[in-house]
This record gives sequence, structure tokens and C-alpha cells, in this order.
Amino acid sequence: MTDNPRTLWLATVPVALVIAPVLPGLYWALSPAGDSAVWRALWQEPQWPLALQTTLTSALLGSLLAAAGAAMLAMLIYPSALWSRLQRHLAVLLSVPHAAFAVGLFFLLAPSGWLARALAPLMGWSSPPNWVSVQDPYGLSLALALAIKESWFLLWMLMALLGEQAVARQMLVARSLGYGRLQIWRAVLWPQLLPRLAWPMAAVLAYGLSVVDMAIVLGPGTPPTLAVLVWRWLTDANPDQQALGGAASLVLLLLLVAAGGVACLAWQVYRHQRQRRLPKGQRRPHAPPAWLKLHVPMLGVGYLVVALLALWSLAGPWFFPALWPQELTLTSWRSANWQPFWTTLWLATAASMWCVAATLIWLEWGPQRYNAVLYLPLIVPALPLVAGQYAALLKLQLDGQAAGVLWSHLLMVLPYTLLTLVGAYRGFDARLMTSARALGQGRFSACLRVKWPLLQRPIAAALAVGFAVSVAQYLPTLFAGGGRFATVTTEAVALSAGGNRRVLAVQALLQVALPLAAFALAALWPHWNSRHRLGLR
Amino acid sequence: MKKILTLPLLALAWAAQAQTPAPWQTIEAQARGQTVYFNAWGGSEATNAYIEWVAKEVKGRYGVALQHVKVTDAADVVKRVQTEVSAGRRNDGSVDLMWVNGENFRNLKNAGLLHGPWAEALPNWGAVDLNKPVRSDFSVPTDGFESPWGTAQLTFIADKKTTPTPPHSAKEWLQFAQANPARVSYPKPPDFHGTTFLKQILIELTPDRAVLQQPVSTAAFARATAPLWAFLDQLHPLQWRAGKAFPASAAEMHRMLADGELRLSLTFNPNEAANLIASHQLPPTAYSFGFTGGTIGNVHFVAIPVNAKAKAGAQVVANFLLSPQAQAHKADVAVWGDGSVLNTAKLPAALQAKFNKKAPGALTDNVPTLAEPHASWVEALESEWLKRYGTR
Repeated sequence: MTDNPRTLWLATVPVALVIAPVLPGLYWALSPAGDSAVWRALWQEPQWPLALQTTLTSALLGSLLAAAGAAMLAMLIYPSALWSRLQRHLAVLLSVPHAAFAVGLFFLLAPSGWLARALAPLMGWSSPPNWVSVQDPYGLSLALALAIKESWFLLWMLMALLGEQAVARQMLVARSLGYGRLQIWRAVLWPQLLPRLAWPMAAVLAYGLSVVDMAIVLGPGTPPTLAVLVWRWLTDANPDQQALGGAASLVLLLLLVAAGGVACLAWQVYRHQRQRRLPKGQRRPHAPPAWLKLHVPMLGVGYLVVALLALWSLAGPWFFPALWPQELTLTSWRSANWQPFWTTLWLATAASMWCVAATLIWLEWGPQRYNAVLYLPLIVPALPLVAGQYAALLKLQLDGQAAGVLWSHLLMVLPYTLLTLVGAYRGFDARLMTSARALGQGRFSACLRVKWPLLQRPIAAALAVGFAVSVAQYLPTLFAGGGRFATVTTEAVALSAGGNRRVLAVQALLQVALPLAAFALAALWPHWNSRHRLGLR
Repeated sequence: MKKILTLPLLALAWAAQAQTPAPWQTIEAQARGQTVYFNAWGGSEATNAYIEWVAKEVKGRYGVALQHVKVTDAADVVKRVQTEVSAGRRNDGSVDLMWVNGENFRNLKNAGLLHGPWAEALPNWGAVDLNKPVRSDFSVPTDGFESPWGTAQLTFIADKKTTPTPPHSAKEWLQFAQANPARVSYPKPPDFHGTTFLKQILIELTPDRAVLQQPVSTAAFARATAPLWAFLDQLHPLQWRAGKAFPASAAEMHRMLADGELRLSLTFNPNEAANLIASHQLPPTAYSFGFTGGTIGNVHFVAIPVNAKAKAGAQVVANFLLSPQAQAHKADVAVWGDGSVLNTAKLPAALQAKFNKKAPGALTDNVPTLAEPHASWVEALESEWLKRYGTR
């Protein structure tokens, strides 16, 4: 597709602006970790062993449970009408940001939470039970939150893979041969799907290892998870502590690599044993038990959590063990602080616009073989990257500036806009462009007048995805913003340590509302825009 | 001999003259259009809403844009200023005004990281009540490097429904924990409410209180704090989650008290319980109480870092914070309920009424005020606590 080395070079500029400054930043941030004294200090740091243990429990257990949940649900109900219905629910649930989900889950599971309130009349409790159901020392509640949230993501990925014609046809053929659903999954589907799920799984694990916002809300405090420690050390004014943070963030990266190695080994073992598990002619057409309605808790908890946020944002007096607020009031909404909302709105709008524009230019003129580099932020733990960004911003004196915060979001948004657009862009009918060029249009004007308008649906989707990703950013906003920029995400996490659940619920709900509105707009706008064009409807 | 002495004295006098602050009109003129980044603890909505109100007022009155940078611990701001100055950012620091007292002020002052002296040259300084400890902060003289903002006194909160008779001393606190297992706790130090709780117990149990007013030394520390650690060793197993975990903040304790997860909470603001009842965060049966022997009280201040970018704007804000209107609004229980540093008797009668409002739930007992230990004790206490109890 590329014709001219100069356009090639120019097309990489918007993308390079996002990525290039991070590289020296990574060097500045992580080079102190080259000193062996830093590693000795880390080894002797009293919080480190327990923090590492909590991180391992929450990230590994969370990712494994998410995978197991998604796999079990898929085996139970694919293919069925229910499976296709789930897709719409997942689209809604996936737009619930991690921090808001954690806050809502806290409202549900805490000893004074809604679950305990529901049980209180049965158990005769007048005070909350002595549960250790949130912020537990092992990070189990954090693992549970990650498991539920990430299982939706993995289900979404599975849906995309299973939606491919080739896979769907194999299921049909195998069923017509009389094989049972579970038999087909084991013999035909998993061997194909597992390798293709490797990258989504890596993304899930990377997220679990370096998540800070959820860990602050649901994770333990004495000591916190390694990611939270790294974040505290890196933002410490003392250079020794910063070096400690750099070293510990490398540990997160090593953990991911190690987990990847273990997964590769497991895959080899699985492949060798596969021969023995191929069906030998017996049909086991037993349907999975119908009473096992796994999708109800797995997806229902998402709606319950959002409902609890809504209820708390409207609650008047509401003390344990009351199941419902004594009265509903709009006070919390009227006195709400809207500044984080506006900050989030402009940040996310600007970030998604820049990234979609950069992605379009890249896809049209850029060197496609380097796409993998742009995907890296998806599967690398965020902490070392954010530390690199911060170091670069400090050198450029852009920390605490609006431009710096916006830039810090771009690196996280860009891979998602690329991921959303690349399929549709490659699938575009090249003949349309050829015709446009033949009619005398230059390449740019052909894109502007033919290609991009025809791609308005995926472009709108990419804008919405980019917007949602920017809304959910916690670490980049905190680091680059130096505390001066409060978004709904940073505000919700900061308030989660405070006392007023109503104020917290309002911010968390705003955090849910922004991406939802973006996705709704992305669905409706192309429709409206093409109301006079029959072929585009 | 005399001559030799006079020369440096003259030089000093000249230097003092050079340091004389610019006249107030000049400062106000410089301040117009400046943006003041006010790094202040953001853990209470009442406080945050009040600072928002101040921002609106100073924008309208003086054309100063006040930005509240919410911090969880003022010690982080101290470190920030330290790093900036040592990295050579001498005039365009990121902090213009900060909420501070105690050991953080001492550290800043000792390291020469504060702008000043300026506080006693503020036009509104004249109304300040000099009978309150506004010129000494945890036994460290302020010397005009910070301007008083409000007064505070450690106050406990309980719920009449579950706790008709609250503990009135450290000893009774322990007995209360025995009678109510897993229903007592305190915020995890170095959260300042948690540290204050430690200091309160220390003052009550230590053999010689006078030692606490002196800078800390290793030998004095060991002797003075031994009863405190013995007390905590007894208390922790009876606490919420067996003392292996602690609430993150006083705000979290209020929520846990409201739901009955805890029986006691604590605050630095004698009016906070009233405030929280009004906003439905505590049941109407909540009430405040103190210890019979007294509780720790102090004054909190605002200071300007030496590398602040908007020093004039920061002084204008500090001066407005001291104005009778701003102090009255702050003292209003429906707003924040923070104690005033002004001599209210000298103010017009209409304003005086605003200072003296009481609301249900606020502290009504006359609790004696105990002086803060010398600022140097705080770090020693916190690090020893973290060593003993910090990691499970």
C-alpha cells in the first residue's frame, strides 16, 4: 500500500509522538534498578514478601478463575439462542470501568454491605458480622473482582472467535455426527481456540499484576499488593524509594514472562496428551445439566453492582441492617462535584480523537508490519510504562500540565483504537478506492470522500472504545497529572477511602455513564448520519 | 568588644530591612491573575466544599484562581517541595500554599524550605486571638512562616443506641474493648488521626509528661513510650480484625461506626459528628465525647513553600482565610464547624452568633485541652509503631 518513503515517514509521526518519548523515559525510570544494592534493599524491605504473595494470589487466581468461568459458560451454552443474547449484555457490562465495579462490589460484599444486610434478618444480626470479605490479607476479594470482570472480557473474545464461520461450521458438522457438546469442545474447539486465546489471557494477567485502582478499593492495606507498593515508591520524593519502585516494577514484568513460560509448557503437555482424548467413536450426547445457570451469577453481579451504585447515590439515611434506604433523595446529585466529569470528558474526547486520527493515518500509509509494537501496552504491565512516561514528562517539564496528562493517555488508548479498526480497514473493498482514484481523486481525498465515510461505523466504534479506555485510566492520570487533574476515576478511588458512600457512588456512576453514553452515541450516530443514504443504512 | 559585636548586628538589621515584605497593595496587585495551587488534605467533604467556597470568593474579590490539590498526607507535600528544590526548581514549584502543622512544619522550617516571614504582616493578623497557641506549633515557634487557619481538638464519637456510657480515659478504653471485642480500632498510623490517638494514649500513660515537650532522644523515647506499647499489646488482640488490619482513615471509621461495625470513632473536629448527622452519614443518635483528663488540641496553619510560583496569590488567599467572613463561614456547623483562630469577642455581634452555633451531636462537655508533644516525637512514634505493628 505504501508508495513514497516520505509519506511513510510522515504517517509514523503521530504514532511516534505517542511512543518515542517513553523509551528514554523507561531508561531514566528503570536504570537505577541496574544497581544490585537496590535489589538487596528490595529483598530486605519488610513489606515486600507479603506484598508479592498477595499480588500472586490475586493476579493468578483472578486470571485463572476468569478463564475457567468463561470456558465453563461457553461449554455450557454455546451454541444456543442464549449465547447470542449474552452478547448484548456483555457489551453493556464491558463498559463498566474496573474502578466503578470494584466500588460496587465493595458495597455488595463488605461486612456492612448489601449481602450481609440481606442475610441479617435470617441470622438475627443487628451489627455487621465479623467477615473479612473485603480488603482481606490474601487478596481473595480482589481476585474475585478480577475474575468476574475479566471473565466478561474473555467471553467477549470467545464470542468473536466462535463467531467465525469456519469454527461455527465445525460445531455443526460434529453435532450432526451425533457427538455431545462437551465432547466437541474437548476434541475440536479447545485445541483451536486455546492458542488464539493466549494473547487475551496475557492481557488479563498483565492487568491483574499491575492493577492499582481496584487494589486500593478491595485489596489489603498491611501490606498492599506489589503494584500499589510500586506506585507509592515511584511517586516518593526520595530517589532511593524511586529506585526500589523501578526494580519492583521489573519484578511485575518478570512475573508475567514467567507465567507465559509456564503456560507454554502446559500447552506442550496438553498437545502431547491430546491424542489420547480424541473420541474413539462413542457418542456421549448428554446435554450439560440445565439447572446449571452459570450465566445468571456471572453476569447478574454486574447489574447488581451498578444498581447498588445507583441506589447509594440516591440514598438518604441508610444504616446497617436496613436493606433499603430510609428515603430517596437527590441531594448527593445536586451537591455533586462535576469538575472531574468535565475533566474526564475533554481528556477522553481529545485522546480518542487523536488516537483514531493517528490510527487511520497509520493504517492507510504507515508500515503495517510494526503493528505488534503498538499492541505492546496491552500485554505489558502498565506500571513500568507509566513510570517511563512520568520520567519523560519530568524531563520535558510537562508534568502537571494538561498536555502531559493527555499524552500519557494516548499510549494506552492507541492499541485499542488500532485493534478496533484494523479488521474493518483490511476488509475494505479495494475496488472502491481504485474507482475513486480512477475518477481522478488523490489518495487523501479518496480516503476523505469515499473510504472513511464508508468506514464510519468502525470509526465511531473506535472513538467510543478509545473514549472508554481513556475514562478508565487511573495511573497515567495520577502520575502525569501530579494530583492536579481529577477525573471521575481518580476521584472515585480517592473517595473510596473516605466515608460518604453517596458521594463515592455518584462519581462511580458517572464513571459508568461516560463510556456507556459514548457507546450509545457510536451506535446511533452512523445511523443518523446515513439516514439519506440507502446503501449505508 | 562592643564594636566587634555591633557590626554583625548592623548587618543583621540591614538584612531584616531588606526582607521587609512589600506593602499589601503591591501584593494584591501582583496576586491578580495568579493561580494558587493549594495542597491540602482532601479527606473530608466538608473541608473540600469549604475550600471550593474560598476559591469562588478569592476569584471574585481578588482575581486569584485557587486550585485545591487534594493530598492524603501533608508529609508527601513536604517531600515534593524537597525534591523540587534539590532538583533546582527554585521559583516555579508546583505547590503555592499548603495546609500544615506539627512535624511537617518543623521539617520544612528547619530545612529552609519555607517562604517568609510573612504571616504576621497580613492585614487580618490583627484580629487573631494571641491567647491561642497561634505562634507555636507543637512547641516549635512559627516566627511568621505560617499563618493560623483553625483550631482542633481530638474528640471521640459513639452511638447512644449501642454505647450509652463511653470510655473516658485510656484505661476505660481498654476495658471497653474487652467488653466489646472486635468493635474498637483506630486509623493506621501514619494517618494523622491514628498518630494523634497514639499521642493521646502516650500523654495519659507516660510517667513524666514534661519530657514530651522537649525534643525527643533515644533514651527518653524508650522510657516515655514503654507504657504505650504495653497498652497497645493488650489492646490490639481485642480490636477489629484482631488488630491485624486498621481502618485507613477517620472517615472510614465514621462509616463503620454508622453501620455498627465499630463502636467508637474519632475526629479532630468537635463539630464533625453534628456535621455527619446532618448529611445522613451518622445516625441521629450519634454523639461526641472527650476524656475526663483532657484531649490533645492544636492549631493548624497554612504555609508557603520557598519555591512557590504564586507567593503573592498565596498570601492573599491566606489573608482571606483569616478574614472574619471566612472564619465565620468555616465555623458554621452546617459548613465545616472548624474552630476559629480569631478573637471573636472583638467582632460585630451579627458575626459572633455564627461562631457560637451548636448542633445536635457536637461536643458539649468541657474537655480540657492537652498540649501536643514536641514535633520531633511524631516521626519517632510513627516509625516505632510501623516497626512493631506495620506488617501484620
